[in-house]
Amino acid sequence: MENIGMEHGFIILFGLTMLYLASTSRIISHIRVLTVQGILLFLICFLGHNDAPLLDLTFLTVETLAVKAIVIPWFLYRILKKTHENRDDEANIPHFYCLVVSSVILLGCFLASNYYISSMKNISHIYFGIAAATVIISLWLITIKHKIVSNVIEFITMENGIFLMSLSVAKEMPILVNLGVLLDVFIAVYILGLFVKEIKKEFKDLEVSNLSGLKDYSE
Amino acid sequence: MIDNVIKFLMIFPVAAGILMLLTRKKAFDDFMLFLYGILHFVSSCYLVFFVGKESLKTQYGASFGDLNANVAGGQYFALDSLNSVFLIILSFVFLMVIIYNIGYSRYLPNLKPVLNANCANKNICLYQLMIVAFVWAMTGAILCTDLGIAWVLVEATTLSSAYLIYFNRTKNSIEAAWKYVFMCSIGIALAFVGIIFLNIASGNVNSLNFSELQAAAKSFDPLWLKLAFVFILFGFGTKMGLAPVHFWLPDAHSESPSPISALLSATLLNSAFLVILRVFNILNAAEHSFYGRVMLAVAGFLSLFVTAVFIYHIKNYKRMLAYSSIENMGILAIGTALGGVGYLAVILHLVGHSLAKASFFLTSGNVLEIYETKNVKSVKGLMKADKKTGWLWLLSFLGICAFPTSILFISEFLIIKTMISKGQYMLCACFALLLTVIIYGMARVVIKMTFREVSDEKREMVDDNRKKITPSMYLPQVVMLVIVFVLGVYIPDCLNDIIQGAYKVLLGAM
Repeated sequence: MENIGMEHGFIILFGLTMLYLASTSRIISHIRVLTVQGILLFLICFLGHNDAPLLDLTFLTVETLAVKAIVIPWFLYRILKKTHENRDDEANIPHFYCLVVSSVILLGCFLASNYYISSMKNISHIYFGIAAATVIISLWLITIKHKIVSNVIEFITMENGIFLMSLSVAKEMPILVNLGVLLDVFIAVYILGLFVKEIKKEFKDLEVSNLSGLKDYSE
Repeated sequence: MIDNVIKFLMIFPVAAGILMLLTRKKAFDDFMLFLYGILHFVSSCYLVFFVGKESLKTQYGASFGDLNANVAGGQYFALDSLNSVFLIILSFVFLMVIIYNIGYSRYLPNLKPVLNANCANKNICLYQLMIVAFVWAMTGAILCTDLGIAWVLVEATTLSSAYLIYFNRTKNSIEAAWKYVFMCSIGIALAFVGIIFLNIASGNVNSLNFSELQAAAKSFDPLWLKLAFVFILFGFGTKMGLAPVHFWLPDAHSESPSPISALLSATLLNSAFLVILRVFNILNAAEHSFYGRVMLAVAGFLSLFVTAVFIYHIKNYKRMLAYSSIENMGILAIGTALGGVGYLAVILHLVGHSLAKASFFLTSGNVLEIYETKNVKSVKGLMKADKKTGWLWLLSFLGICAFPTSILFISEFLIIKTMISKGQYMLCACFALLLTVIIYGMARVVIKMTFREVSDEKREMVDDNRKKITPSMYLPQVVMLVIVFVLGVYIPDCLNDIIQGAYKVLLGAM
């Protein structure tokens, strides 16, 4: 039973990392958040699912630790070094309000999942609430940030949230789907990374507003 | 036997891809791509028209199209009455695109002078390789029997086609590819949330196999099932190009090379639609279809509305075709929402739209080749510049705007008839009005481009460029248009069996 308590602590920490993400503007700290999230997910997997078959458990834990905590942050860090984009401080909304809105989303999801989901036997409501909040906060941050690298980072936090959500269902998802999530994240980051490089080559900086040439009602 | 052919369809492209990666010679890649196109078509025909049909009949002792007797093949990839139609469309369009590509890839317009010959060669090799990967992923997404695998393969189509969209290496193509990858990845991620919800809804059924889910659908939790459908509709709907999540589509279709636009529009959108249809079937089997129908109808009408608004002042003719794809996906969604005879209309529309739109996009490649611009205002006198391209352009337009005897006339007529018979007069009026606006918008552009005289300053360039167009860049469109217009008056028995089979699957779930 001790493990369950610890695992829940990690999940709450995971939720807090989203608040940190919403309130900072330096991209390097966003990448650090990704590493922390990867490690937290690894711990959650390891502590929360140690009754799963050995092969599944090994795969899940190794996947989360290697890909989410090491490979992806390292890859993004390299991009960051090449592009010299350190800050994303021109978000549409000041950081303070970002923090407030994210907190409200987190609280709302937490309450909603406590209220609606706690009656369902096979879903853990803490998992589910935080996962839903992560997905919503990430989607919201994507819409307000101005740098392309930030968008990629928020895309990955969204994938992390979805991963947490799939853990919240007590039933196992088929391993193939896990494999799919891994493939998805890995290749998406790879491709997005390549695009960031190409965009940098083509345009002066990595502002999203550069990518608005294609439209129907111009002039 | 079926199992072996399906395995062949899934394994051959992987082997071919590895060989292409190793050799990296344009001539070899051309050959492999062509071989893949032919083998894909032959094995699909063999599967659908011969063994598949017979096997489905004898193996289960039931008529083709019986809901409970519709799977033949392996555990993860199988042929059934519903995906037969999709497979044969994919195969045929792919073959046509490959034929067109023979002429097209000689003068790939995008190879900028800055690229040296070696680099250009490498790019073309990668282009051919990515087409193989793209078609492989679509074939898998169509044939698979498991929602999880379908999800993975639809994501794989995004990744493989991203390179193809980016192929021209201009600022615009990078923007289009970025939007495409980013939006579709988010869409597909949300679809995964839908899959998780479906998993929650399914209670004790620990599987994502479509037929198992459908069989157990009645015991599902209604709230989670409906939630799952919303997420899956919007997730895969992003890929299918339904409004309001269609924004990537006009950019990606207009910026990619024309054969790729044809593949995207005529086959990729269908594969995503198949997944939505299958999940809709589950919802139907659980007797919560009303909710799904409302969602589909809203998305469908919104797609028509968006198209009508944007197509009216369109400046880029490839974007016009892309908006027309959104419109047709909307019609498919509306047909599904109506049910009954609407399902038959959906299947017919699917066949007709894929062929007519592929032909339209391929012809737009010819126009682009001749005039070197996508701007509507700069293209005048197509008929004078190149008579064959001019006629193909006009006929493709007539095909897509459901001019009789195009098969699209039958499908749209059936949809309107279903609306009237169900007493949905307001919907019917909206539908007809929006279609009229769209057809007017398109007709204006097509007629402006086709007739009048070529302007003097362009005459020399046009005469030069006309020589680039080889016979293989006319033939596929002619074949597809002939089929579109013949199907409106006569559907051969073998094809009719498949269409009826798919229709029965959709009806059976009611």
